[in-house]
Amino acid sequence: MAHLLEVDDVVKSFGGIYALSGLDMHVDAGEIVSVIGPNGAGKSTLFNIATGLYEPDRGDVRFEAQSVVRLRPNQITRLGVARTFQTVHLFPNMTILENAMVGQHCRTRTGVFGAVVRTPRARREEERIREKAREALEFFGSRLAGYRQDQPAFALSYANRRRLEMARAMATEPTILLLDEPTAGMNPRETLELRDLIVRMRDERGLTVLVIEHDMRVVKGVSDRVVALDYGRKIAEGSYEEVANNEQVIEAYLGTRATG
Amino acid sequence: MPRRSEVDGTPLTRHAVRAGLMGGVGIVYLALVGMIQAFSGTSLIGDVATLARLLILFPPFIAGYVVVRPRVQGGETVTVAPIRALTVGAVTGLIAGGLTAAGVALVEILPEETVRNIFVAVTTQLIDIVTFDRSTVQGIAILIILAAASGALGGFLGVIRLRIRRPIAVGIIVVLLLGMLQDVFRVALIQLGVPTAWLYSARFGGLTYLGGVVVFAVAAAATLVWADRRRLARAQDEEEPAPDSRGVGQRPTQMLIAVGIFVVLALLPVLLGTFLSSVLGRVGLFLLMGLGLNIVVGYAGLLDLGYVAFFAVGAYTTGVLTAAPDSGSSIHVGLGFFEAAPIVIVIAVVTGVIIGGPVLRLRGDYLAIVTLGFGEIARVLVTSDWLKPFLGGAQGLIGIPAPSILGFSFRDPQPFYYLALAFCAVAAFISWRLATSRVGRAWTAMREDEQVAEAMGVSTVKYKLLAFACGAGIGSLSGALFAVQIGSLAPSSFSILISIQALAIIILGGMGSIPGVIVGGLVLIGLPGFLSEFQEFQLLIYGAVLVTIMLLRPQGLVPNVRRMRELREDEEAQDQWAKDLDADTRRAFSAESLGGPPA
Repeated sequence: MAHLLEVDDVVKSFGGIYALSGLDMHVDAGEIVSVIGPNGAGKSTLFNIATGLYEPDRGDVRFEAQSVVRLRPNQITRLGVARTFQTVHLFPNMTILENAMVGQHCRTRTGVFGAVVRTPRARREEERIREKAREALEFFGSRLAGYRQDQPAFALSYANRRRLEMARAMATEPTILLLDEPTAGMNPRETLELRDLIVRMRDERGLTVLVIEHDMRVVKGVSDRVVALDYGRKIAEGSYEEVANNEQVIEAYLGTRATG
Repeated sequence: MPRRSEVDGTPLTRHAVRAGLMGGVGIVYLALVGMIQAFSGTSLIGDVATLARLLILFPPFIAGYVVVRPRVQGGETVTVAPIRALTVGAVTGLIAGGLTAAGVALVEILPEETVRNIFVAVTTQLIDIVTFDRSTVQGIAILIILAAASGALGGFLGVIRLRIRRPIAVGIIVVLLLGMLQDVFRVALIQLGVPTAWLYSARFGGLTYLGGVVVFAVAAAATLVWADRRRLARAQDEEEPAPDSRGVGQRPTQMLIAVGIFVVLALLPVLLGTFLSSVLGRVGLFLLMGLGLNIVVGYAGLLDLGYVAFFAVGAYTTGVLTAAPDSGSSIHVGLGFFEAAPIVIVIAVVTGVIIGGPVLRLRGDYLAIVTLGFGEIARVLVTSDWLKPFLGGAQGLIGIPAPSILGFSFRDPQPFYYLALAFCAVAAFISWRLATSRVGRAWTAMREDEQVAEAMGVSTVKYKLLAFACGAGIGSLSGALFAVQIGSLAPSSFSILISIQALAIIILGGMGSIPGVIVGGLVLIGLPGFLSEFQEFQLLIYGAVLVTIMLLRPQGLVPNVRRMRELREDEEAQDQWAKDLDADTRRAFSAESLGGPPA
């Protein structure tokens, strides 16, 4: 069977600097895969190409055996690929609930006519949007529930903005969730909490997760498989232990061992 | 620290001098452009307070107010004590008055022709007005004293507590409004059968002294009571936050207000008569345009400077479809207005999509420039010889029949007002429903962060086009009404100015806010229409009002809460950036001076 997400020989350069130089990797349904690598290794570029923000110079990205290259980001989201951003990007002046409700946009259909006339179908749909959004928020338990959901998103603490961003992505009802450094800016306790949540995303919601992460405790705790990138290329792949002990990976992070 | 008070003291006087001089320049400017003389005929209260005199005393008042406002100095907020504010305000006013007086003296000394040759507005009448119809010396003394008093009043209002300032300010504004809109209110009151002799002076036209005092007292008292009640309600709210019960409690009041507004709107043309109703009809036209543009700019965040294109499409399509055979167009369809309206909307929506298509990838400034171009294209097309057989070229179209239902014609100002009102009501309703729906949410998300909205599944292509289409549809209706209001079309009516006016309405009122658009339309189109003296200076006042609003209240008069926060955020981000930069520089310098390693 084909892989759920397949990255095939993808090259992407920015003005002569190669962010990705022939990357091959895949994610299977139901897996949690971590992408690690030093800064500038091309991790976020990988996400941006997989979600349609960038177009690769060469190569192909396939989701459920369908090429997503040249699709617009919203089309890819509709297919079932949702993401969060490395630096939090919420809609700061929309309320917490509205942020999550935007996530439901691609699963609903009310247009101008339905909105103006408020047809029964539009009303039902609006109710369902609200419900699904609440459901997505509730996944994060008391953390987000502590705020009134009609407060603007900018009122949230940094860690909660990250949680809301994940909730918004989950509200799109994705098949695969791409998390870009979800624990950045969180304290150790919150980090561990999130580690458990990522595992629960798969176990309870049946999501496949691709996560960029720097915190090795998280990587170790969640990953079925780890992919290490450096200079836009895959340098190692396998279980956490295998990758963590790989010479090339250690070298990429720490530099070459002094010889002699 | 002894140095601090010194530092505090010096700038205040300096500010006073500067503000005073600017106030003086303001008076002289108003005099030189002819506004003061033009306004001298209107009496506001009795025979003393004319609009011209008010205009003379307005700059010192503002200068006095601005000088004493709390300002941030070295990270601390410096406030001015009330007594000090009075004197500082008086000094400010004195300087402003003094500068004007110097101008008057200069004109008196110089041979008359010298000044008149350059400044045509400087006439003996103007000098008489500025010197309060006294001899030059006496008049100058009065001018300086009154300006000082005006400045002192401004200073006093600037520092007094909000609880007192607000009622006084509202009182003054209401008195001025009733005075300026004397034609409107007196006519309305007479129609209602209310005796007006005590309120409006028969001889001078403005308010009587008694009327002025009573109106001021009532307005101020009402404001005071209302503010206290609101504060009380808010304090209660904080004690026991019950968001649900509040919503229910507000509903009957809201309904009552809505019904009240509806009744007033329905009665207005009956009360105001033909001329003022035609002004209201014009307000309706622009309101409709403002509502349409609000969808594009306010909701979707796409700055469209060529909105006149949709207005023109609506007007000309209506003209061609409904006009009589010899209208100037070779096409004769002869539809009725209400049969043509759906076709007009469809054509406008198609135009909206056509214009929207090429600009989809543009943002902000670039979008504004390109849409500006489209607005000009529309104007050039309707003037062109190429389309002359269809659109009548420079001669325009004539013979556009009035809209009618069952033989009842809507051409006269009063019936036309109702037609415009109905259109506006429908447009406002549609706007409101759209804003609070999945569509509106998508627009808001797109406005806040286009790229993220797209990554979350919102098709920005579709929703931008949708915004253009909705805006175009409503704007075209405005054009359709315009075409049938007079029954003829001239291409000169479709200038860039229309776009600017529509934009000004929503900026003034508050982007993305329907009540804001209504207020903006009334202020920018209604006021100049009611005050015939203002007509000549309409654009001047427009500019001044817009600059003032942008400086003092960038979120608009009746803002949309969300838009307001977005603006404030931009500002904070800038402040933060400046602060960070400052901190970085400081750190770099301290590291250098300490001889530490460079970061």
